[in-house]
Amino acid sequence: MATAPKEINQPAPEVLLRVENVTKIYDGTVKAVDDVSLTVNKGEIFALLGGSGCGKSTLLRMMAGFETPTKGKIHLAGQDITNLPPYQRPINMMFQSYALFPHLSVWENIAFGLKRDGMPKGQIAERVEKMLNLAQLGKFAQRKPHQLSGGQQQRVALVRSLAKRPQLLLLDEPLGALDKKLRETTQLELVNIIEEVGVTCVLVTHDQEEAMTMASRIAVMSEGYFLQVGEPDTVYEMPNSRKVADFIGNVNIFDGVIEEDEADHVTVRCPECVHYVGHGVSGHTGMEVGVALRPEKIMLSDKKPKGEYNWCQGEVIEIVYFGAHTTYHLKLDSGKVIKAQELNNTRDLSCGLTWGDRAYAHWNDLAMVVLAQ
Amino acid sequence: MATKQGFFSRLFDGKHAVISIPYFWFIMLAAIPILIILKISLSEMQGTSVSNMIDWSNGWPKLTLNFSSYQFIFSDSLYLKTYLSSIQYALLTTLICLVIGYPFAYFMARSPKHLQPMLLMLIMLPFWTSFLLRIYAWKTLLENNGIINNALMSLGVIDTPIAMMNTSFSLMVGMVYSYLPFMILPLYANLSKLDIRYLEAAADLGTSPFKAFWLITVPLSKAGIIAGSMLVFIPTIGEYVIPELLGGSSTLMIGRVLWNEFFSNNDWPMASAVAVVMILLILVPMAIYNKSQAEAEAK
Repeated sequence: MATAPKEINQPAPEVLLRVENVTKIYDGTVKAVDDVSLTVNKGEIFALLGGSGCGKSTLLRMMAGFETPTKGKIHLAGQDITNLPPYQRPINMMFQSYALFPHLSVWENIAFGLKRDGMPKGQIAERVEKMLNLAQLGKFAQRKPHQLSGGQQQRVALVRSLAKRPQLLLLDEPLGALDKKLRETTQLELVNIIEEVGVTCVLVTHDQEEAMTMASRIAVMSEGYFLQVGEPDTVYEMPNSRKVADFIGNVNIFDGVIEEDEADHVTVRCPECVHYVGHGVSGHTGMEVGVALRPEKIMLSDKKPKGEYNWCQGEVIEIVYFGAHTTYHLKLDSGKVIKAQELNNTRDLSCGLTWGDRAYAHWNDLAMVVLAQ
Repeated sequence: MATKQGFFSRLFDGKHAVISIPYFWFIMLAAIPILIILKISLSEMQGTSVSNMIDWSNGWPKLTLNFSSYQFIFSDSLYLKTYLSSIQYALLTTLICLVIGYPFAYFMARSPKHLQPMLLMLIMLPFWTSFLLRIYAWKTLLENNGIINNALMSLGVIDTPIAMMNTSFSLMVGMVYSYLPFMILPLYANLSKLDIRYLEAAADLGTSPFKAFWLITVPLSKAGIIAGSMLVFIPTIGEYVIPELLGGSSTLMIGRVLWNEFFSNNDWPMASAVAVVMILLILVPMAIYNKSQAEAEAK
């Protein structure tokens, strides 16, 4: 879903939300958001991903209208909404931990926004009914929020924010309050509902899996600015910096120097091994670089690989079993520890390595990303 | 035998001993005195003292009930009028305290965190002075040649003093002044816990701040409103000192009647009956309210 094949004759996407050079400074000194610009296209699910304190929530709250930017503009469908109060914006938000009104029933919670718009009673009933069906909560219409499970509350919060048919839906850590198992099923439910309604969405999360599965584009944020904006696979497979590579998933980074710089390949000499990268990079011979290699792209064996590139040798010092896969920690002769992830595709541990064994790690020449220092 | 032993060991284990202390105090200081009052209210005027409360016949206690005091209460319209007027004053005090106290508590709860202890302190400050002293202070303020009238007259706003003392006005001033903190404190405790996100959610769904106050803040602070109202209503209905010192003879309050029956008329059965009816007047509506609340919760 996140990686829909690109069509050749795609019409130019229509920009719905445009954030222009927005800065937010608290108490005159603390820069929460630092000169951020972004556009969100109609129909997109856009994720702001980052650790706590990176400014993602502040940015979202400025879109909702709870905070005013210190500098910069926010446009929605061509209209400047920078100074519009939240109750006048055609934007609705699903709050972290939902903020369902505890004194109102599920039905009244969903109808709350519609009543404020002065919608006729018959239409409200019709719309609420539709929303309850969408969330599969028909039976629970008269319950109070505290009588629902976490997953049900989450769906009520979602349809409450969808009931007014907002132009833009904001999701603040939508799955943060759910346990892991429930999260996986709810993630897909959430995306299905959003796609059924066809609403444009900005999502804030610290969970990279959540961002990957739900969003069509991700902005990785740190210290108030964007490190990288791109589709989930781009951000994962082609991080533009060590920070991004490190934040999204696990990664081994080898420090080295470009030895050979050709149009179709480069080699990078590191203390541990020599990397042969099967594509050109923008760099020059002698340049200090980092080579990022994801653990799942490393293969382990007890036999010495052929050739002189793309392998290294070390001692297994830790084996972490996850069920579907196992992560081996390999201490290389230089002292560096790398992680390699092996798929457990048979029921006996496939590569038969154990603590203290010496093993060879090898990878192919398109597995790694060369990052400037 | 085993069960009996179990019963006694359970009765004297630590857990029950701890719980039994408040029960003991409750029985000694509330239940028994109320039962004594109830008994006195059902006896005749002669010979009522604590020592001969129980009538003996042939070595057995005999229960004789005499309802004449109650008959008198319900036949003399003065008592009924006094009860009604007490309820009216108490309700009005509660309402005024709520109207003044709610915004007070609201802004206290919304004020910067470091200011809140100081504001709380200011609410409590009057308690450091004797209650009687503070009521007397109002007397000197409200009297015909008191501070307010003197000031207004010297400023030329009025020619003759406004009669404020010994009216329902002075009574209400005294009661609202004295009981306002009891309204503010529970409201503050409740409002300071109100999750600001509910208001944000309401704003997000298109509610102006004014509407959000009525639709979200007020309903969510219901528990605080009820607690504050109870804390004001219950003591004011039987208030004696304020009507005596500020209300004068024209304001009818049941506390004064009670005092007269006990200490002027020395009619203990009558006084006890007046007290019992007052307790019922307070307890019955509360019990009905609690029951309806419990039913609403269970739904």
